[in-house]
Amino acid sequence: MPAPWMAAIPDALVMIDAAGVVRDWSLGAERMYGYAHDEAVGVPLGELIVPAQRLDEQRRLIAQTLQRGAGIFETLRRCKDGSMIHVDISSTVVPSDAADAMRLVLSEKDVTGLKVLRDARSLDARYRELLESTPDGIVMVAETGHILIANSQAERLFGYGPDELLARPVEMLLPERLRGAHRGHRSRYFSLPRTRAMGVGLELFGLRKDGSEFPVEISLSPLRTEELPVVMSAIRDVSERKRFEQALQDKNVELENANRAKDRFLASMSHELRTPLNAVIGFTGTLLMKLPGELNAEQARQLEIVRSNARQLLALINDLLHLARIEAGKVELQLQPTDCAALVAEVVATLRPQAEARQLDLSVRIPRPSLMFRTDARAFSQIVLNLTSNAIKFTERGSVCLQLSETEADGRRQLALSVTDSGPGICQQDMAALFEPFMQGQASRRNREDGTGLGLHLSRKLAELLGGSLTCHSVFGSGSVFTLRLTEA
Amino acid sequence: MSATILIAEDHPASLELMRYLLAAHGYRPLIAVDGEAALELARREHPDLIICDLQMPTVDGYGIVTQVRADPRLRHTPLIAVTAFSMQGDREHVLRSGFDGYFSKPIEPETFVRQMESFLPPALRTRRGPGA
Repeated sequence: MPAPWMAAIPDALVMIDAAGVVRDWSLGAERMYGYAHDEAVGVPLGELIVPAQRLDEQRRLIAQTLQRGAGIFETLRRCKDGSMIHVDISSTVVPSDAADAMRLVLSEKDVTGLKVLRDARSLDARYRELLESTPDGIVMVAETGHILIANSQAERLFGYGPDELLARPVEMLLPERLRGAHRGHRSRYFSLPRTRAMGVGLELFGLRKDGSEFPVEISLSPLRTEELPVVMSAIRDVSERKRFEQALQDKNVELENANRAKDRFLASMSHELRTPLNAVIGFTGTLLMKLPGELNAEQARQLEIVRSNARQLLALINDLLHLARIEAGKVELQLQPTDCAALVAEVVATLRPQAEARQLDLSVRIPRPSLMFRTDARAFSQIVLNLTSNAIKFTERGSVCLQLSETEADGRRQLALSVTDSGPGICQQDMAALFEPFMQGQASRRNREDGTGLGLHLSRKLAELLGGSLTCHSVFGSGSVFTLRLTEA
Repeated sequence: MSATILIAEDHPASLELMRYLLAAHGYRPLIAVDGEAALELARREHPDLIICDLQMPTVDGYGIVTQVRADPRLRHTPLIAVTAFSMQGDREHVLRSGFDGYFSKPIEPETFVRQMESFLPPALRTRRGPGA
């Protein structure tokens, strides 16, 4: 039984055998390391209080003490609660009753406070200027978890005054709930230090002096200064960015809703516009079919005007809806090998009656009866139909010629379809706005009732959707050539 | 005897247009302005063809196709959707849900009756021209 005054000694007294196994453990050791006498005795010291990165040092300590009979060392110890402390150790070999073994007594004094201040001064002298010049908050932390230096950016970030963070445990910068895990991360980090970039890993939070939390991003880099291992941590307040991300996400949801509302609106609008047109076109038709009775010539002529304008309105509604779908990215293309020669022939067959009615020579030049090209058949046909019906509409006399050709550029197949007419051509001032909506040129004003004013605009949009281009070359007074160029993906 | 054709349509002008065209071509049109009335009429009259709008009060076109196809005495009646819904994909959706045909409004009066007739057995088609 030790004398009472011996129990008051603040230092830890530890007896170990030559293998490092604890044989006795003083009250001071219980207080310093947190392990009770019975927990410690019989356990190798290496498993109890020696951090992984200090195991070699511990073996040297024992070997040197055995060799010289005594020794003085400085090292790092890990307490039961995971915290690290610096200790000064005096070791002595003592005689043992057991003939088979040597005993060592270690007297260990906690010098953490002193050492932290000493290291802090040394780092301050070396790095203060450098750290103050970086935009991020930076703290350097010792193996014991104490802050050795914090730049003023870090102090501001966490709401502390100058030097208020010095020598304080780094965990005070974390919310309570994260501290335990952090201690574990920290000791593992020192045994296997590596650089960790900003933003890698979990969502992290900082704790300000006033108790408020804020989201942070932290990068870690080990910094080995002479005999002093520290971890440098750069800390960035990402509240602003998080707010921005949240706002973006909210905006996305809002846009999605707006898009859905727009889709519904378009579908309803289409439905509501078609329903009355159905009656207008329908009953004009029944009258013109003379189902209710004979018509005189003037009645028939006027009814034809009604019908043609109603169809015009329908075409406009269709084009507008098509355009709205393209603008909304709702047109789903089905890109697949398509016989473009056959599609061109089909369009020509459809429009031949119109061309013949105007006594135009409608011709096609196709390199071979079948020309497979990867594209969307519907969009391709629509463009060819628009271009050809335009050409027929605006050409008073002469010809309309469709030509399909195949080329290659940069090892990729290209397809060109041109529609050449002997129409009035397009004057320079109309050329600039040719593909704009509702911008029919001088020449077309006379034929106004035939077009929607959206055909070329739509065609160019479709061409771009197909990854191609639609261009026009025209000589005022002698005709125009519209060319669709597609490149195979 | 000419075929009986049921028209289910809630828009009065569209209903009148189809009724007039079919009658003018010698068919016997039955009319209903909502889905429930259409189903009731169909069960009572066993029409040879049903022309049906999609958007209607009480039971819509999709409800009609479901009930007609589930009724052993009606399930083989040709069912044609005539609708002002003409967005991309509407046709496929309509045909998949069990309709035999899909026509979008506005209809073409010159060809409408011929299109409807093509769903009738030849014996039930009128050989008369319009108004004859």
